[in-house]
Formats: sequence, C-alpha cells, structure tokens
Amino acid sequence: MEEQFIFRKQYRNILIIIMAAALLIVLTVMIASGTGASRIWANILLNNQFFLGIALGAAFFVAVNRVALSGWHTVLQRLPDSMTAFIPVAFVLMLIMYFGMNSIYHWSHYEGYDEILEGKKAWLNVPFFFIRLIFYFTGWIALTWLMRKNTESLMVSSDLKYHNRRKIFAGIYLVFFGITVSASSWDWIMSLEPHWYSTIFGWYVLIGMFVTSLAFLIIFAWFLKRAGYLPQLRDDHIHDLSILLFAFSVFWSYEWYAEYFLIWYGHLPEETSYYITRLDDHKLLFYLNLVINFLVPFFGLIRVRSKRNLSWAALVAAVVLIGHWIDYWLMIMPGAAGEEAAIGIPEISMTLLYAGLFIFVVFRSLARGPLVVKNDPFLEESLSYES
Amino acid sequence: MDNPKYISVYFDDEDPMREAVKKLLAGRETIIDVLTPFPVHGIDRLLSIRRSRIPVGGFIFGILGAAFAFGFMTWVFTVSYPLIFGGKPFFAAPSFIPITFEVTVLFSGLAMAFAFLIRSKLKPDSRFNSPDERITDDRFVILVDAANGATPEKIGAVLSGIRTLEIKA
Repeated sequence: MEEQFIFRKQYRNILIIIMAAALLIVLTVMIASGTGASRIWANILLNNQFFLGIALGAAFFVAVNRVALSGWHTVLQRLPDSMTAFIPVAFVLMLIMYFGMNSIYHWSHYEGYDEILEGKKAWLNVPFFFIRLIFYFTGWIALTWLMRKNTESLMVSSDLKYHNRRKIFAGIYLVFFGITVSASSWDWIMSLEPHWYSTIFGWYVLIGMFVTSLAFLIIFAWFLKRAGYLPQLRDDHIHDLSILLFAFSVFWSYEWYAEYFLIWYGHLPEETSYYITRLDDHKLLFYLNLVINFLVPFFGLIRVRSKRNLSWAALVAAVVLIGHWIDYWLMIMPGAAGEEAAIGIPEISMTLLYAGLFIFVVFRSLARGPLVVKNDPFLEESLSYES
Repeated sequence: MDNPKYISVYFDDEDPMREAVKKLLAGRETIIDVLTPFPVHGIDRLLSIRRSRIPVGGFIFGILGAAFAFGFMTWVFTVSYPLIFGGKPFFAAPSFIPITFEVTVLFSGLAMAFAFLIRSKLKPDSRFNSPDERITDDRFVILVDAANGATPEKIGAVLSGIRTLEIKA
C-alpha cells in the first residue's frame, strides 16, 4: 500500500503553460507599456518573499511539531516537507535581486549626506546585505535538507536514529529561523523605507509567513484529497489544521494591531510616515487587508463544522492566502515602487509565474517518495488520531 | 437493592472500557453515563452525545460584551465626559480596542461558566451522588440502564472477553 503521488503529465503541462503565459505577459507589459524598473523589481521581491515565506513557514510547521513530539501531523508531514523544497529556488531568485538593488533600495545609492542612513551604514551596505542573505539561505537550505533527508531515510529504514536526528535539526531550525526571519525582514522589507523602523516588524512578518504556509497546506491537502490521494487524512487532521489557521490569523491580527496601535498613540513623525503613505494612497487595500486576514478566518472558521469541512476550509484558506499577498504588497510596494504602486497585470502575472514555479517544485519533491512515511514512530498515533 | 436503576461496570483502563462501550451498544443496551477520572478522547462520539451548545452561548455573549464595552466607551468619551487625551479625537477608536477585547473575553468566559453551572444544576449546596468514590481516582465506570431487563449476569455475558473488574447492580 505504498501510496505515491504521481506528478502527472497533465499537471506538468498545465503548470508549464501557466508559467510560460505569465512570463510572456510580464515581458510584453514590461517592454510595451514601459513599466518602471522599480515596479518590476518590487514585484520580484514581493513574490520572492511571499513564496519563500510559505516554504519557510512549512519548515517551521514541521519543526515545531517534531520538537513538541506531536503525533497528529505525521500522516501529512510530507506535504509541508515538500513545500520546503522551494527554498533553494528562492535563494537563486533572491540573488537576482543584486541587479535590482538600485531600483528599489534607496539606501544602496543615495547622494549627499543622510544622517540616518549614515548611522545605519554598518548594517545597511550592499556587501554585508548579500553576506547576510547567503548566511540565511545556507542555514535554511542545510537544515531543511537535513530534515527532509532523514525523513526519506525513514521511508526505507526503521532505524530510530533518523527520527531522533530529525528532531535535533528541527530544534536547531527553530532557533535559527526565529532570528534569521526577523533579520531578513529588516533587510528585505523594512529597509525599503530606511528612515522608518518598527521593533515588532520581524515578528509580524514571521507570523504572516506561518499563516500563509498553513493556508497553502490546507489547499494542498484539499487538492490531494480531491485527486484521490491520502485516504488516511481524516476530518480530525483537517480540524487541527483549521484550528491553527484560525488561531494564527487571530495572532497575526494581534501583531498588526500592536504595531499600528503604538505608532498611532505615540504619533512620532518618524514612525507614522509608514502608515501615512499607506493610508493616503491605498486606503481601500489597507482596510481590506484587515478584513480578509482577520474577519474572514475568524468568522469563517469559528464553528467546529466549518473547521472539519475540508472544502470550506480550503476556500477560507485561499482567501487568506490572497489576503496575505495583499499584506506583503502593502509592506513592500509603497516603499519600493512609490507612485507606481498598484495592483495590475504585471503583479498578477508575476504572481502566477511564481505560483506555477512553486507548485511545480513542490509537486516534484512530493513525487519523490511515498505519501505516508511508514516507519515513522508516530504514524500509528496519527492514524488513530481523534480531535 | 431490589429495583436497581442501573448496573455499573468497572474497569481499570480506558481501552477495555472503550471496547465495552462498543459491545454494549452493539448488544442494544442503553448506557446512561460513563464516568472516567480523566477526559477520554472520542468517547462522546462513541456514545453519540450531542455536542455541547456552550460555545454558542460564549460566542453570543462575546459579541454582547464587545458591543457593550465599545458602546459604553464611545458614550463616555463623546457624550458624557469628553476629554482630550494626547491630542487624540474624542472618538479615539483604536484606544478602545484593548478594553473591548478584555470585556469580550470576560463576558464570554463568565457566560460559559454560568451556563455550565446552570445546565449541570450545580449550586453551592449540590451533592454528587457518586456510584463509587473510586471514579475520582483511577476507576472507569459504565452505567447501564437496568430498566429494559439488564442484569449483571446478562451484561457479563455481553462483555465476555473484556477485562472488567466488577459488575454490580
């Protein structure tokens, strides 16, 4: 009963067509309408961040469950595991940002004397930016690779040492992830507006990442169930995934409010600049962000019956996924693209291109082994799990 | 006892008890209640007990609490006693949110606690008519309805092969 996901030609072709079409549209729009370089680069950064966040959050999900010795997630562990396979691709895509630095990062090429940027120079300079970038990715790729590799060993061997090793790497990953995600969000997002800073920003991004990866995980599970895979995945497991999505959406709202509230109360010009830009130019999206990411999952998943209904949970998750894309948009675009910031054809097609690539990589990684790791010591607990 | 209301079956672990519940239900016996020293997962589903409606009460009272707190603060700071704090407008909605949240939790929590006490008929002088004191310690008990002719012998026959400690009327 070694059930295996088959990356069918049909899926492959659809994904390739989507990617090709999206790439074509992006290039046409770029050349024909003369979209500004900063808008294109900001788009690349936005989607790098969004899909990298899904992959990192998935690794966080697995790591947290392994460190806590949880049994319920074992039956679906290969889903988040395969989502982490995107991190190396994101590394390459992030390195490409080198050519776009000057278009979006104001601090990398300013003229004259800027006291604030002068003070931040020890951290915000181009060489150190890339040293840090390589450092973050080396850690993420190494740790997620080690976790995946040990899971793959458990597919063929029943030696408990692989399970224990996996647990140790999960612990290291949690510490590394917590620190590096904060630091990378200062580097990649907060430094788009280098005069502004917020101490909760790293946390805010981290929670957003986890929410997006939970949302993607639910949609992923829905897709596999629809395609007839994973009969072992029952409503009880879906219930727990929905609880996590519900809880972390509420936690995300808490973070959002904590950031907004303190800046609103303090009313210091150097802090309010961030919200003034967004409230002046993108009022609708600003409030839509809160409605989609707080009210929709809150009221959509508050009932037990809706938490256990996979199709409904996947629908809510899809809305939340779009909501968090808008959230990243609000963080990145006004700072990076300035006046040009909008949601139009370049944004949508670039996101489709990335989504196609992401799903392609994830499916390929999932197809590498059986869907259920039969030697996992927690498998029995997961199969008979009731919530 | 001449006319026992129920027959109690004792176990020392949850697994045999779970098996026994399945067998008794398959044997068309009526189970009045199952008493356990700790929550046993999935047992309410086995007994097809309807889900508690207490969360619904919690939700409704939470909404009431939120509306009450937000409305009250709005009334106080805009109508009854307008004051300027730190140059903010009278209706400074963001600063009402933390208290609104606290009152929501308070209303919801208290409503659920009182709903539970009322529905369980627990008042200050309530006594628990325990069939056996050991159920608060380490025993698992199934109470089988004796009204439709169940006797300890009959139950014992139904449960043959399952490790029971004691079956008594």
